[in-house]
Order: sequence, then structure tokens, then C-alpha cells
Amino acid sequence: MSETTLFKVALALYACALAIYLIYQFIYQFRTKEKLGLAGWSAALLGLLAHTAALIHRTVASGHAPFTNMYESLSFLAWACLAAYLVIDRVFKIPRAGFLFLIVVLALMLLANSPLMPKEITPLVPALQSYWLWLHVSITLLGEAFFAVAFITSLMCLAAASREKKGGQPSGLSAEKLDAISYRCVAVGFPLFTLGGLVLGMVWAYKAWGTYWSWDPKEVWSLITWFIFALYLHTRLVMGWKGKRSAVIVIIGFLLALFTYFGVNYLLAGLHSYA
Amino acid sequence: MIQSILRFLSSVKLAITLIIIIVVVSVLGTLIPQERSVGEYYGRYGGLAPLLMRLQLTNLYHSAWYIALLALLTLNTVTCTLTRLSPKLRKTFRPRLEAEAKTLLAVKDSDSLKMNSNLEVTAAAVRQALAGRRYKARQRAEGGGIIIFGRKKVLGWFGSDIVHLGLLVILAGAIISSLTGFRTFLKLEKGKAQAVPRAGFVVRLDRFDTDYYPDRHNVKDWKSRLTVIEAGRDVRSEVIEVNRPLAHRGFVLYQSSYVQEIKSSLIVLEVLSSASPERAQTVSLRPGQSVALDKTGLTLSLLRFEPDFVRDNGGLISSRSEELNNPAAQVTLSRAGENLVSGWVFARFPEFSMTHGSKASDTKVIFRDIQPGISPDFSIIEAAQDKGVPLIWVGCGLLMTGLCIAFYWPTREVRFLLEGKKDKTVVTAAALGSKNREALSSEFAGLWKELKDQT
Ligand code: HEM
Repeated sequence: MSETTLFKVALALYACALAIYLIYQFIYQFRTKEKLGLAGWSAALLGLLAHTAALIHRTVASGHAPFTNMYESLSFLAWACLAAYLVIDRVFKIPRAGFLFLIVVLALMLLANSPLMPKEITPLVPALQSYWLWLHVSITLLGEAFFAVAFITSLMCLAAASREKKGGQPSGLSAEKLDAISYRCVAVGFPLFTLGGLVLGMVWAYKAWGTYWSWDPKEVWSLITWFIFALYLHTRLVMGWKGKRSAVIVIIGFLLALFTYFGVNYLLAGLHSYA
Repeated sequence: MIQSILRFLSSVKLAITLIIIIVVVSVLGTLIPQERSVGEYYGRYGGLAPLLMRLQLTNLYHSAWYIALLALLTLNTVTCTLTRLSPKLRKTFRPRLEAEAKTLLAVKDSDSLKMNSNLEVTAAAVRQALAGRRYKARQRAEGGGIIIFGRKKVLGWFGSDIVHLGLLVILAGAIISSLTGFRTFLKLEKGKAQAVPRAGFVVRLDRFDTDYYPDRHNVKDWKSRLTVIEAGRDVRSEVIEVNRPLAHRGFVLYQSSYVQEIKSSLIVLEVLSSASPERAQTVSLRPGQSVALDKTGLTLSLLRFEPDFVRDNGGLISSRSEELNNPAAQVTLSRAGENLVSGWVFARFPEFSMTHGSKASDTKVIFRDIQPGISPDFSIIEAAQDKGVPLIWVGCGLLMTGLCIAFYWPTREVRFLLEGKKDKTVVTAAALGSKNREALSSEFAGLWKELKDQT
């Protein structure tokens, strides 16, 4: 199968998973719900396998890692987000988040697939031919994928908190539980982001240009994102913040990560503008 | 006085304020283009320009006040870490073994139970249950009872300190880099040697190759073979390329770029005659060269080559850039001094040419290619000396180690209070730990069950 076909198969399976998770939201019978949760997860996993094959296909065809232009890196980000979600769902059982999450993943896939993103395999300029770059980008995006899961659970936490305040019946997960899940996602995402985005970014820049840090806008925005998540950890650990306030910081942090990823490329110029 | 300064410097409130300020001004710094000319700022911001420049928002990341903010944040981290370190060390090495049933039972994972064994036997059972789970136990007799603290992964308490130490080391490295860092560019000609300023050695460029992708236009890599010469002797010889520098005596030499003199490009031209296609001939030549075509008796001259052809309104021809965007060659084809064809031909547009011929000749010149594989004449090497770099990597190592410990090596502590009641013992216990409570809860439950089964 060609890469495009595999990509389309993945897209279709993700759409199936989305539909299943949508039905899940409206079913109240426990057994059916449980089965639907498993079905959604399985459809998403199958999609992920097809998507993995598409990425491998492209890597083999181009001879370089699949994140050197916007199409490739969007596709990889969607892949990483879904992989992160599938892991977190296995551990914490949050099929309720599946619906919102697959919307995010599908949006990324459709954006990657849109005519706005050129898909040709282009030759790499010499500075990009480095295994440090593979590590730098893949680990950063993986970290951001866990931030994405934390973002969704934080949104749900805000919703649950306001429902609980009104004295409504807690349907599904409590705000407290969602807050704990967000924290666990950040606890995975923060070290990954630090390693990929900051440490390996510095190593690569040093190998390629001889300076580990040059205050280019993408570097500054990564640093800002990193500071915000550090703020999240400190307000939590030292000042005991939880629930709503913590959720708001995660949401801001993830939006900053998104801006670092997209906004900087399109709105601000710099060294990274080709990536 | 000193007390209150210390308290201020070590407060987490200061840290949060500083982080927010740094984030806001950093955003400003990415919105305002940095280090441009004064004229550009006036054009962009008008009357606001002098203010922005006075505030150094136009060169923010190297301004004294921005660096002072970062230094203050680091100082804050260090004082905060240090003021908390000695209580932490005491807690680790000389913990006060104190426990009250009431406070223990206030903890989430806690319980109380009456065992049918006397104090000593119960204490032994508790210690054994702890040892089975790799807890280290400390014990103290108090009043009519015994207090036992069991602990494991104590290193986990120090994860955050290691992270903060890493940040300090990184900042130290960055300061050394900016104060003592030195970098310069060398334009090396093939076969010639040049001294690296301040380095005390000389480098010679032995070879310089450019690799192309199969499309023959996109550069895949540049490789320079360099020989380091010290005191007149060749000491080492290595090929460097982009992403693979050469380090020698604290200096690092990077392949930065190249300079190709246009005059040395080899141009491939084909001469075609529609009347006699079998006499087509392909030749390669450099600008300024002529060649006699043996099949036709014509002479082909390449007068000039422009890599990125443009013609301005006045008809003046030049190159827009040094890139091969629109390679063009000025050629003449002559026989016995008489020009048959002369003008410009284009590599990207073989069907199109700007030529004129005297005898409406059926002979055509086509620009086939610019010969790849001919190496450019100069290799640009960047030589950098940066003594801060080792500290940066050490700091990064500490940072990552600390993060792993802080998140994935959580300290666990189980505190027991044993009170003898004749030949029975009341055991009260609580499990403490701030991370991964679920695992802690289940471990505590297992431990508790083990004790219960012995009653
Ligand atoms: C941007 C810089 C900083 C980073 C990346 C950072 C990172 C961290 C991390 C990863 C932890 C462990 C968090 C956890 O276990 O959940 C931590 C803990 C902590 N940090 Fe920072 N930190 C920074 C700056 C500061 C500053 C400026 C202060 C000082 C006021 C500070 C005070 C603390 C304290 C008091 C703890 C808790 C220590 C403990 O009880 O284990 N941090 N920090």
C-alpha cells in the first residue's frame, strides 16, 4: 500500500473511533458503555498502526526522519498525541476524554492532509541531516503530546469542577481525579519536553552552528512554555494549588506549546523557519 | 536585615513573580525584531522607536536588565534550595522519631490494630514486614512504646535540589560563554594554510568537496579535509562536514559555508543543427574559454555566466544572487570570425533563448547543465572557542537526572507507633509520600494485611 492510502486508512479508522466515542457520551447503561469504550480504543489503536506504517513508509522512501516539513511533523504530532492518549487511557481509564481527544487528532490529520501543506519529499539542507535532529524533534513532539492529553483532562476538570460546584451529579470522573490525571501527564510530558526541546535542541544547535543557544524566537517560545509548566509544578508542590487554578495553568501552557509549534513558523521569523 | 533579605530571596512568591515577568518580556522580545538598524525601527515604530531602543527591547536578550532577571531567578533558586537543604539533610540522616496516634490517623493511608503479641515481638514483625518491601527501618523506644520509621528511595527528596543545581550550573556555563566566548570565520582557499586567531595553530584546506542530490542542484553536503599544523608540523588531518565539526585544543572548527567564484563554473553546452542532427555535439567549458567543434568546424565561446540572470530596465545584465535560480550563459558560435549565433541561453528554459544570428542559421546552442562535482574555491570555516560548553552539558545532565528522580523515584515513609497493652500491642501506622499515592496506598494495604494475618 502506498503512503497516501495508509494515511487515508488511518484517517478513516480515527473517524470511526471518534464516532464510537461520540455514541459513548450518550449511553448510560454501564455494560454497553464499557464495551463502547473498548471498541473506541481498539479502532483508534488500529488507526495508529496504519498511521505508523504510513510514517515508516515515508521514512524509508525519503531516507530521513518524518518531520522535516509541516506535513510530516503534523502527521507525526497527531500520531504522538494518539499514542499518548492510548497509553494514558489504559492506565487511568478515561474513555470520556476520547471524544475530545480524537477531535484534536483528526483536526491535526486533516490539517496535514490539506492542500496548504506541501507533501513532496524535499531534499534536506545539510544542517538538517543529523540524528540529533531526529531525537530533538521526536522527543519534543512526544512531550507535547502528553501536554495535549493534560490539556484535555484539564478542560474536563474545569467542566467537572463547575458542575460539582452547582451541586450537580458527578457524571463520570470527579474534578479531583481529572486533576490527578493531568498532573501525571505533565509529569511525563515535562521531562520529555525538557530533554527534547531544551537539552537536545541545544546539543543539535551546538553541533550544527557552534552555539547552543541563540535566542531565536522558537527557542524563546519553548523556554516560555517550559517556564509555565515549571510554574504549574511549583504552585502545586509548594503552594498547594489544585483543581481549577492548576487546570488553567496547564491550558495556558499547552496553548503556548501550540504557538511555539505553529505560530512561530508562520508569524515570526528565525532559524527554525524551515522546520 | 540580612534575615529578611534572605527570606525574600528564597521565597517562592518571588520565583513566581520573576517567572511571570520573564515570560512577558520574552514575548515582547520575539514580537519586536531584534538587532536591526536604527532606520528600520523608525520606519516600523515611528516616535516609539527611541523609547524601545532606550529600554533595550530591540536587543533584549543581551541587555543587562534581562540577564539580571535571569540571574536573579537563579539566585532565588539557589537560596531557596540551600535554605531548605539543611532541614532536609537532618530529616534524612538524623530524623526525629516522634509519632502520636492522633496525627498518624489523620493521614489518608493510616490504620490502627491490636496485635496478640507483646511489644518486642510485634516490633520484630513490623521490621520484617518493612524489610520485605525494602524499607530501611529506624526504631526508638519511647515511654511504654516503640516508634518505627520505615523509609525507601530517600534520594527522591533531593530530585528537586539536583534540578535546581543543574540550572545553576547551566547559568554559570552561559555566563562563561558570553564573557569568554570567541568566534571567527576563516575563508580558506584550497591548498593554502591560515592561522586560527588566538588558537596557536594553523589549518590547511587539503580538499573541499560538494555533494549534490541526484537532482544536481540541491546541495547535500560540504566536506572539507583539514590538516592542523602546529609549529610547522602536521599534527592531524580530518574531514569535517556540516554537523560534524573538528575539535582541537579547545577550539571547534565548523563547516559553515563556501564561496564559489563564478568564473570557475564548468558549463555544459550542446550545439544542435536541425539540418544535420547527427552532428550534435556536447562540450563543457568555463567562462572565457572557446572550443573548436570538430564535427562542424565552428568555434563555440562562452563569454559570461550568470547564476541568477536578471536584466534591468536599462538592459543591464547581472545576477540577482549567487544561487542557481536562473543560470544563463552568454555564448557565441562563429566560423572564421563571423558570428553565426550570439546571445544568452538559459538552463531552465532550453526552448527559449535571447540570441540573434547573422545568417538565420539552423544551428542552436542549448544550455544543458552546470557541471556538479567541481568544488567551490573557498571553504568558510567557523572557529569557535567556548569554555562554557562543558558546564552546559553537565548542567543538562544534572537537570535531567534530577527530573527523573523528582518524578519517578518518590520517597516513601511508613511510620509506626507501637503501644504495649499487657501482652498485647496496639499498632498505629501511616504511610507518607507526596508522589504516586495510588502505588503507596496499595503497598500500605499489603503491608497492613501481612500484619493483620499474624494476629
Ligand atoms: C525555572 C526554573 C525552575 C525549574 C525548572 C524548577 C524545577 C523544579 C522541579 C522539577 C521541582 C520538583 C517538582 C516536583 O517534584 O513536582 C522543583 C521543586 C521545587 N522548586 Fe523549583 N525549579 C525552578 C525554579 C525554582 C525557584 C526560583 C525556586 C525558589 C523560590 C524553586 C523552588 C522550589 C521548591 C521549594 C521546590 C520543592 C522542593 C521539594 O520540596 O522537593 N524552584 N523545582
